[in-house]
Amino acid sequence: MSLVAEAFVSQIAAAEPWPENATLYQQLKGEQILLSDNAASLAVQAFLQMCNLPIKVVCRANAEYMSPSGKVPFIHVGNQVVSELGPIVQFVKAKGHSLSDGLDEVQKAEMKAYMELVNNMLLTAELYLQWCDETTVGEITHARYGSPYPWPLNHILAYQKQWEVKRKMKAIGWGNKTLDQVLEDVDQCCQALSQRLGTQPYFFNKQPTELDALVFGHLYTILTTQLTNDELSEKVKNYSNLLAFCRRIEQHYFEDRGKGSSSIRSS
Amino acid sequence: MAAPLELTCWGGGWGLPSVHSESLVVMAYAKFSGAPLKVNVIDNTWRGSRGDVPILTTEDNIVSQPAKILNFLRKQKYNADYELSAKQGADTLAYIALIEEKLLPAVLHTFWVESDNYFTVTKPWFASRIPFPLSLILPGRMSKGALNRILLTRGEPPLYHLREVEAQIYRDAKECLNLLSNRLGTSQFFFGDTPSTLDAYVFGFLAPLYKVRFPKVQLQKHLKQLSNLCRFCDDILNSYFRLSLGDG
Repeated sequence: MSLVAEAFVSQIAAAEPWPENATLYQQLKGEQILLSDNAASLAVQAFLQMCNLPIKVVCRANAEYMSPSGKVPFIHVGNQVVSELGPIVQFVKAKGHSLSDGLDEVQKAEMKAYMELVNNMLLTAELYLQWCDETTVGEITHARYGSPYPWPLNHILAYQKQWEVKRKMKAIGWGNKTLDQVLEDVDQCCQALSQRLGTQPYFFNKQPTELDALVFGHLYTILTTQLTNDELSEKVKNYSNLLAFCRRIEQHYFEDRGKGSSSIRSS
Repeated sequence: MAAPLELTCWGGGWGLPSVHSESLVVMAYAKFSGAPLKVNVIDNTWRGSRGDVPILTTEDNIVSQPAKILNFLRKQKYNADYELSAKQGADTLAYIALIEEKLLPAVLHTFWVESDNYFTVTKPWFASRIPFPLSLILPGRMSKGALNRILLTRGEPPLYHLREVEAQIYRDAKECLNLLSNRLGTSQFFFGDTPSTLDAYVFGFLAPLYKVRFPKVQLQKHLKQLSNLCRFCDDILNSYFRLSLGDG
């Protein structure tokens, strides 16, 4: 979107309050959605819960194609459609709700830096695992990604997406990484998050911010998604304060409101 | 530990020891941690390799990519981060991710994609340091690689149009510079009085942007308004690189 168009949209966004019938679109929960998309969707849901804004989750097989940027999740509010956590945070801010207003400049810089860390390492690692690791691709990803479509469309779409993701991995230098190196990067990222969180309830002490929503979305999905092996979730389980963090947000923002999904197994 | 460490990298200009960001990161880190590096500048003879620069060679190892090289140096006990707390170590990773996601696309664009800059400055500089006939091919390939990286990470499928992402990446880069400036404040380095890995990364990415003379300079102009970042680059250049510049 050009700068002028964005400013225009913010103006319109600011004019109306948050409606009751706001909806969030993602892929089909049981059969189609993949790890990385589930994480992104959960992050947005957590963020909206933290802002106390009601949202209904709707599952559609073609959510990816409906989205204006091609990425899920996206929200439909009033007559506007916004996708991805970053723009959604901006949109919600234009409507007057913000979680990070109380932070000073240095803290805001830190928050943005940690959000980039999660996107750079965790999200990329999830994409790598889903699309570049042959076992996972064969057993899980291909089957799930194309499941709502008839043959041969399901195969074609899956291969096309895989080719796209592999191109991207190569461009950012992850093309030659082995699975072990990727898992080590995940470990490094979790270690950094764990050290930053320390013993606090949220990353910026008492109040959750969009960073907490993003971290929760990714870690919770990693912990609760069944993959071909448990190595990814084992990396996260090494850090007890991150587990406690996920449980805390789950209890506070999801179970209390009657939306209990599969809870974290402690092992 | 007495094995000589040799770094192959792109050379310098405009007052910098190297104009290539990644090479500069490694050189700065080596200075900060006291690692004795012998720097081999790539020139237009056929000696040495040109791909995947910077490359660190020791007697039995060849290491490429800045992150791996820095890890290797740390294992050899050249550690610039030993005074950092755990949280500061975590912050380092986070800020490096921020730089790679938000600043790097615009720096790549300024150097390699923006046609005025590329054809008048970048291409001639690199071509003069690559032997013929590779000099006809390699700069073009590097430019295409940069464009590819920008489009794949920031462009939105299925259009992949440069114009749509240009405005966005420059906006992100300016915001990133502002964030770095806010974080640095009035301190000399990012974590107190001694430079660390983060300082090496920030210096590596900012210094070429700051010093190289380009025709199209919107990002450079923005950087020059952030006086503490300019002071940061100048300080490091003066304290750590002044002597070596005299050797060329």
